[in-house]
Amino acid sequence: MVNRRDFLKGIAGGAGAAVAGFALGSLTDTIEKAEGRSFEEIKTMVETPPSEAYLLVDREKCAGCRSCMLACSLAHEGKENLSLSRIQVFEDPLAGFPDDLVQEQCRQCQYPECVAACPTGALSVDEVNGNVRLVDEEKCIGCQRCIEACDQINNPARAAWNHEDEYSLKCDLCIDTPHWEENGGPDGKQACVEICPVNAIKTTDQIPVQIGQKGYKVNLRGKNWEKLGFPSE
Amino acid sequence: MKGHMGKILRLDLTNLNTKEINTSEYEEFVGGHGLGSAIFFDAVKDKTISAFHPDNVITMMTSPLCGTLAPATGRIELNGISPQPYPTEWYSRSNFGGRFSAMLKYAGYDGIVIEGKADKPTWINIVNEDVEFKDAESLWGLDAWETQEEIWTDVSGNSTSVDEREWYQTERGRDEGRTTQKPAVATIGAAGENKTRSGAIIHDAGNGAGNAAFGSVWGSKNLKAISVLGTKSVEVANPSALLKSREWAEDNYNNQESDPKPNWGSGVGAFGGVPGAEGFGNIAEEQVRPQGCVSCHRCTRKRTESGHGNESGCVDFLFYDVHDEQKHGGPTKETAKAGDLSQRYGINVYFLEEGINYLKHLHERGILGEGKEIEASLPWDELGNASFAKELIYKVSNKEGIGEDLAMGLPRAAKKWGRLEQDLNSGLLGLQYWGYPQHYDARTEVEWGYGSILGERDINEHDFNWVVYWQVSLAKLFGRNPPVKAEKLAKIIKDKTIPYNAVPNYSNEGIYSKNMAKLVAWHRHYTRFWKQSLQYCDWAYADFLNPYGPETRGITPEGETRFFNAVTGKDISFKEGMEIGRKIWNLDRSIWALQGRHRDQEEFAGYTYDVASWGPEISPHANYEVPYYMPVKEDGEWKYKNVASRSLDKEKFNEWKTKFYELEGWNTETGRPKRETLENLGLGKVADELEQKNKIE
Repeated sequence: MVNRRDFLKGIAGGAGAAVAGFALGSLTDTIEKAEGRSFEEIKTMVETPPSEAYLLVDREKCAGCRSCMLACSLAHEGKENLSLSRIQVFEDPLAGFPDDLVQEQCRQCQYPECVAACPTGALSVDEVNGNVRLVDEEKCIGCQRCIEACDQINNPARAAWNHEDEYSLKCDLCIDTPHWEENGGPDGKQACVEICPVNAIKTTDQIPVQIGQKGYKVNLRGKNWEKLGFPSE
Repeated sequence: MKGHMGKILRLDLTNLNTKEINTSEYEEFVGGHGLGSAIFFDAVKDKTISAFHPDNVITMMTSPLCGTLAPATGRIELNGISPQPYPTEWYSRSNFGGRFSAMLKYAGYDGIVIEGKADKPTWINIVNEDVEFKDAESLWGLDAWETQEEIWTDVSGNSTSVDEREWYQTERGRDEGRTTQKPAVATIGAAGENKTRSGAIIHDAGNGAGNAAFGSVWGSKNLKAISVLGTKSVEVANPSALLKSREWAEDNYNNQESDPKPNWGSGVGAFGGVPGAEGFGNIAEEQVRPQGCVSCHRCTRKRTESGHGNESGCVDFLFYDVHDEQKHGGPTKETAKAGDLSQRYGINVYFLEEGINYLKHLHERGILGEGKEIEASLPWDELGNASFAKELIYKVSNKEGIGEDLAMGLPRAAKKWGRLEQDLNSGLLGLQYWGYPQHYDARTEVEWGYGSILGERDINEHDFNWVVYWQVSLAKLFGRNPPVKAEKLAKIIKDKTIPYNAVPNYSNEGIYSKNMAKLVAWHRHYTRFWKQSLQYCDWAYADFLNPYGPETRGITPEGETRFFNAVTGKDISFKEGMEIGRKIWNLDRSIWALQGRHRDQEEFAGYTYDVASWGPEISPHANYEVPYYMPVKEDGEWKYKNVASRSLDKEKFNEWKTKFYELEGWNTETGRPKRETLENLGLGKVADELEQKNKIE
């Protein structure tokens, strides 16, 4: 079935680009990730279609204000709590730039370990909404296997735990934001992107390089940033 | 009220135990300063005790907005009796930004009340509801940065390096939640430990509550540090309205990267200022990032490649850059290093700024030096290098040599040297109000001086300062037209200063007018509630003129109310908030009355009346002052005029005070609040105490 978004993407050539990216990355990644996995896990990961959008961040542009975290928690959970944010920013105030700060966001992994690890199907790929990997809170039993799985490949884990309402949290690109009036998802808006005061977060529909950080931590600075006295290179 | 966590933590250092206050008991005071003053009033029975008396109480209060997306609400307010003012140690205030206020709320508290005195060095570890008094023997003597590094590791056992950091789960297990964040630590350095009158409380690299010397009160209580870490949620009444309001503010009033407007008074002031504008860093050709407190929309400080000057802003480096530039021909890293030293030792930079200037004047006149009338060994050849700053800061913080006198603060040191009166009369010593260094000049920008002398300290509130002084004076200095004409500025300010509709006329007549009384009253009431109680940051509010706003109008008063109502679920008007501010201001005024305040004491230093403010040359006091071009209305015409070379007329100022007291409902003979005024504000209990102590007529 081709939905409206796929149709539009097809016209724009986006679907072709996404599929090409998927194919290119697959061989080495799959071999590397296959060790120690069950057949079902590998099958789940490999058969997962790529997300149609990804969050990118600029570590050298971020100002550490945590507004993205507050926006994420507020839009999704309706309350303010840094522990309930799906994007995490943390700092060493005494260190030198740029080693003083990182933003760690969910990667919408091409081979999502969190989806593979979920025993109930609560974590799945939302094919209606651009293949975003997301949590169905109703189905989540709180086993935290998704968090553990993510923790194996990401430091720190990007899947988080809502200890107040007891379910796993992960970035859904703002598909399910009951406390925000904007439309989210791959073709919509994301609260963190909208709220960031220095434009240090954006989305792309191109699959980032999956190995390492470079694909996800990019340069979002330009001439105007340089005019303010900050480095653009 | 939504936004409140519901509990205030009382720390009894004498008995090493804790109690809680239900925030709802004090809900009418909302947050920050209001909560602090109301709790202080109840907790400290004898308001005439000295700052270092164990019964002095320091309150640290957040607001319903802290830890939420309400823009630039990342600060925490501190109240208590301060050792800094002269001659009386007034009940005073200070605040600092960063992550502490948000983290305190995530730990479940709206504030902390620090009472009593520990019998040995102690630090407090707060992780959600677990509050522990810890031995600080091994931390005592460490500087403010070293102390924080020790505590970060101690509390969460996690690497301080951001690239190695893991989620931290508290000992209570998964139901307690997890966090990636470092504990937020507020601490003191040597200046506080050794009870100088200039000890600051420092948090992270460059947040400090300095200008009330509460760090020294911590030192007197043997309190080295408070660490907070929390995983709880702040409830928000209307999340979608808060998100929408934030987007509205960013779209319509915040700086736009694609459209910087550098000619607007250097982009420093108020809501739409550019990122990093306040911070030191790229002046010394280092790569930097902007850096902001939790929830900030403009992120005005910086972190640098070398780490020197991290988060230091404004006076943190302005106290020294003039000497650096004189020595090296331009600003260098020496200024940033001097800023670092002020953070590490936890010492008030305003003291250093005026202190270095004063010592230099005395040295140049042959009065101070080795074998001189005032014995002092300081490496004057090194002035401009960080090594001079280090020597001076070390000596003051450890009360060594000349530092023993200076640790008493400048007014008390000058008094000991027998120089106070003559140097205040000549202006050699620029302490204009209550022994505080002249920040902006009472002779020219009168609302700053008037507010300070009617209060208890250098107000350090830039609400009018950005638009009536900086934007105009910088434009004139660089040969540009100010962003808007004087008449338009006056109209905007009049429209926005609800409900008094004040007119900013700084002419020779205007500064003694009833209009100026209305402007100062608006300022006192506005800051007491909207800023010091709600913690809206001075670097963003009030916002009168805004380069991005509709018709260049700023976000005040719409923004303040909109964010507050979205978070709390209340539906208050701006005017109602102003009335809470008036109540808090009157409560403070009553505390000062109990401490012995009388109108006769509300006089500036002699030079304010006897010496014309300086002309076009470099100011002998505040290192950053440029000529004062201000809006004036003369012969029915609004214009910008250089009002330098002005002194205040003592008699006219005293007539103005009477007008101000009348406007406030205070006794014009004594300057103390009338019973009727207090009762109308719901402060009958306060009036009773004043009557008991014979401080009400």
